Amino acid sequence: MNGEDSVATGRSSAFVVTAKKRKIQQITRKIGESALFLVAATVAIIVIFIFFFVARDAVPFFEIRGFREFFTSSDWYPADDPPRFGAWAIIYGSLMVTAGSALIAVPMGIAAAICLSDVIPFSVRQYVKPVIEMLAAIPSVAFGFFALVILAPLLQNYGGPILMWTWWIIASPFLLLAVIVLSELVSMSIQDDKHRKIAQRMYVSFFGLIALILLFFVGNNLQKIEIMTGTNALNVSIILSFMALPTIVSVSEDALQAVGRDLREGSYALGATRAETIIKIILPAASSGILAAVILGIMRSLGETMVVWMASGNASHIPDPWFNYLESVRTLTATIAGDMGEADQVTGSARFHVLFAMGLLLLVISFISNFISERIVVRQRKILSGQ
Amino acid sequence: MQPSAEAIETKRDASSTQTTARDIYLPPERKQVSGGGETHVSAKNFSIYYGDFEAVKKVNADILSKYVTAIIGPSGCGKSTFLRAINRMNDLIPNCHTTGALMFDGEDVYGRFTDEVLLRKKIGMVFQKPNPFPKSIFDNIAYGPRLHGIRDRKTLEGIVEKSLRKAALWDEVSDRLDKNALGLSGGQQQRLCVARTLAVEPEILLLDEPTSALDPKATAKIEDLIQELRGSYTIMIVTHNMQQASRVSDYTMFFYEGVLVEHAPTAQLFTKPKDQMTEDYITGRFS
Amino acid sequence: MNLGTRKLLDQSFTALGIGSIVIMGMMLLVVLVPILTNGISANVFKGTIEHRRMQYNEFHRGDRDALQREISEAAATRKTAYDMMSTFEAELNQMDEVKQAEYRDKYNQVKDAVKSLLGPKPGDELPELTRFRYGQTRWEKAQERLREVLYEKKWDYSNPDIAAKEYLVSRAESFQGTSLVKLFPYVETNIDRMLLPKWTIYWGFIFDSSIDSHIFGGIWPEIQGTMFLAIGAMLFAFPLGVIAAIYFTEYAREGFFNSLLRSANSTLAGVPSIVFGLFGLAFFINTLKVSESKSVIAGSLTLAIMILPTIIRSAEEAILAVPKTYREASLGLGSTKWNTIVTVILPAALPGILTGGVISLGRAAGETAPIIFTAAVSVGSAIGLADVFNSPTPALSWNIYNLASEHEAASEIRHVQYGMVLALVTIVLLLNLTAIILRARISKKLKG
Repeated sequence: MNGEDSVATGRSSAFVVTAKKRKIQQITRKIGESALFLVAATVAIIVIFIFFFVARDAVPFFEIRGFREFFTSSDWYPADDPPRFGAWAIIYGSLMVTAGSALIAVPMGIAAAICLSDVIPFSVRQYVKPVIEMLAAIPSVAFGFFALVILAPLLQNYGGPILMWTWWIIASPFLLLAVIVLSELVSMSIQDDKHRKIAQRMYVSFFGLIALILLFFVGNNLQKIEIMTGTNALNVSIILSFMALPTIVSVSEDALQAVGRDLREGSYALGATRAETIIKIILPAASSGILAAVILGIMRSLGETMVVWMASGNASHIPDPWFNYLESVRTLTATIAGDMGEADQVTGSARFHVLFAMGLLLLVISFISNFISERIVVRQRKILSGQ
Repeated sequence: MQPSAEAIETKRDASSTQTTARDIYLPPERKQVSGGGETHVSAKNFSIYYGDFEAVKKVNADILSKYVTAIIGPSGCGKSTFLRAINRMNDLIPNCHTTGALMFDGEDVYGRFTDEVLLRKKIGMVFQKPNPFPKSIFDNIAYGPRLHGIRDRKTLEGIVEKSLRKAALWDEVSDRLDKNALGLSGGQQQRLCVARTLAVEPEILLLDEPTSALDPKATAKIEDLIQELRGSYTIMIVTHNMQQASRVSDYTMFFYEGVLVEHAPTAQLFTKPKDQMTEDYITGRFS
Repeated sequence: MNLGTRKLLDQSFTALGIGSIVIMGMMLLVVLVPILTNGISANVFKGTIEHRRMQYNEFHRGDRDALQREISEAAATRKTAYDMMSTFEAELNQMDEVKQAEYRDKYNQVKDAVKSLLGPKPGDELPELTRFRYGQTRWEKAQERLREVLYEKKWDYSNPDIAAKEYLVSRAESFQGTSLVKLFPYVETNIDRMLLPKWTIYWGFIFDSSIDSHIFGGIWPEIQGTMFLAIGAMLFAFPLGVIAAIYFTEYAREGFFNSLLRSANSTLAGVPSIVFGLFGLAFFINTLKVSESKSVIAGSLTLAIMILPTIIRSAEEAILAVPKTYREASLGLGSTKWNTIVTVILPAALPGILTGGVISLGRAAGETAPIIFTAAVSVGSAIGLADVFNSPTPALSWNIYNLASEHEAASEIRHVQYGMVLALVTIVLLLNLTAIILRARISKKLKG
């Protein structure tokens, strides 16, 4: 071969090597690359193993007890003889605190993300981001401790006033805004300038009165509420929402940033205000990314263990009425964590396997939501890049 | 298209005394180099594809050793692609493949037994933006020699000094070799990159728009440097600046849409282009 | 709508966003401030003579003679109180049966309260549990106990519609007409002379082992366990994660298999932490049998797979952030791909990779759920490095839960719990602060 010649003659352009050397080179490269691939593939192997080993210990439960009782009954008496494994109330409790936290975290998170990406100047943002990161970094057990030791007694002792003041602080600005906008909208059809102003003032006083009555009426009723126990679904929902917020904020902010300047400038150039630009142009464009953020945030709430274990009260029943957030609930995660201590000595019993069944349920839910959110993100990226 | 070494001596002829648009491109007279003029790199029906797209189409050209060859053409014409193909930097781009032959010193660059690492040692490259490593000036220059097995500090110091002197940077940085290279000015950084490339003792120096990120003063220094190095190395420079091509090069290749339209001694290409397309380009009809 | 209203809406919209951020910041403060203040008070507090006695007896700390003087000083004041009590006991025995029945119970309550306040009476037999051998070691706890000596707690059930209300009855009134009535004002006025409170810095809270299940603090075994678990997790996850990130960024070609691996990574990131615990139990302990039962190694492995996705992601980002030009320059100089990665890319990406690593370390230290079934025990001493393969360990996160929710005297030792939470939060936030500073330095460096 040429290569051998050039090596043999020692020519300066000895970049061509012998066939053998080239072969060895290629093989080492292949081996190295495969080794790296194997290491990277451990991630996939771990995921498969997690599914396999959790399912392996979950299947015996369904073999012994079937599906029906687990998903439909609310009787959770694993220690009785005969034991009963109705997990519906527990699943419901998980859903309830997750929904509660989402109710608080989603609007706040999206508003904060918009604020971070479009409102706050860069110099301030530098200081806000670490705050969010620190909130994300605080260990869940510290949040749980806070919920149990500080928030729960507060709710128990001053529940009514706390609810009332929260209502006042949150509702009054919104109602005020609603009054102004509503009276403006209603009086818009009047052509004459002078008449319109008078009508507008009348509408403002009329709607304002209704709003005030609403404020006082609801506030008064809230104040009368006595919270029987501070370790309840409300407590947990509040804390979980703050744990889900950092995820929602940072992922939605990425989605909002991805929309780019062109769209924003286009809208501003047409005379839209910032709020209009954001609501009409940017949010729709970033909607799928924000949806992904919400899903991830919700998953954080659903999978959280320590807070719910410490502060949800761990009562396995469906609150009465079903939306009563002031009652104790019990969640899947807390049940797994709490019951394993009593169950794991008797490996092989339904009591042990039912906890794995719950784990499998959580795993499947998290897998599905992850899959969905990933699809959504991919789709958004495609749309934004114009494919 | 086989320009002869003598053609460089082409003097300004009578027609160029008229004031025309291309007068500014008239190359300066320059000395013939000794020991050069052999075919160093030669492309035969050489094409480069990105996937199905043929970025460089069936190029036939011989690059002569120790001379400076400039590659010009509008953006997207394949001039950079062609340059990067010579030391196989295009390997980094997925889906990139070539047909035809590209010979360097009579061996196929894309041959089965080519070790691209050894190849790149022979064919150095300087990039558009100065790209020193975030290491000290010394370590930047010594990076290449160390890769190729030189560990002795004394030897390395010698190489560093020699390379920096060749790149006309020694006087400016000799007292701060241990400082971070990112602290140098843009022009100095680019000359450092040249010095770094020279430290591995290449035969060919590929310059990919080396001055496009620099101010005029730094550009002038780089151009002076190219003149210094001419005669010691085969130099190929891609540039979008036609004055620069005429100032520094002995030969010029004009690419358009992947096709090598004209390859001629610089003076000839800028004064009497054979092709209408070249004429249109250098007179600014399109760019 | 007219422009004024539109502007108003615009501004309220802005206010909503800023409000959300402010609420988040406030939440951070609301959580951190009580943890900080109460946590510090676990280390710095007004300690009583009982605290100094405990320190001397259990850990041989303090000056013997000074302590002896203090003890006798306090004992002199206490003696009067004990004398009053024995006078009353004699009186009680003289009483007729009806009266005895009336006072006996109440007197026993007083006796217990005094015992809990001052510790066992000199001459009495020392109790088995260390916690009963000493009176109140902390001044604010002593004052709570004093209130129990002075007042009886009663519950008012009169209104069935609302929860029962608590009210206090002065004991001095219940003992009206007996000799014991003098005791209450005496104890109230002389409490500081009986307990001699003094500002104390108690480093032992952090560096001691706990005696008698954390009644007096001593959280070193937990801190050490947390460090073992977190560092162990890093030892497994960091190299694995960085190598995987190198593969993803430098070698992986787009394709089905690669996208599958990426999906696997994000799936792993989304798995609830308690499920990792189940997996650790089922796989590492029950199947692989890395240890007989719970152990540090099993916990570290479980935590390692939990933090792996974070490490991979941050390492990937850091590697991708290295300018492409470095790669070109190095390859252009005749460097092999692997050489380029090791000598140019990794050094340039190192601060970013470390940032991710440090954050993951914090996460591993703070997580509880994965170690419940795999590594954590509620009581235990600090374990040696050799024991990591076969013995479980106490850990801050688990013990915070345990002390706050399952300890028999949970509400008595809030200060210990706060101290532990502060220790954990400090570890985690310091790690995160390091990461933030690291990142700030990187962005400064990239700006030149």
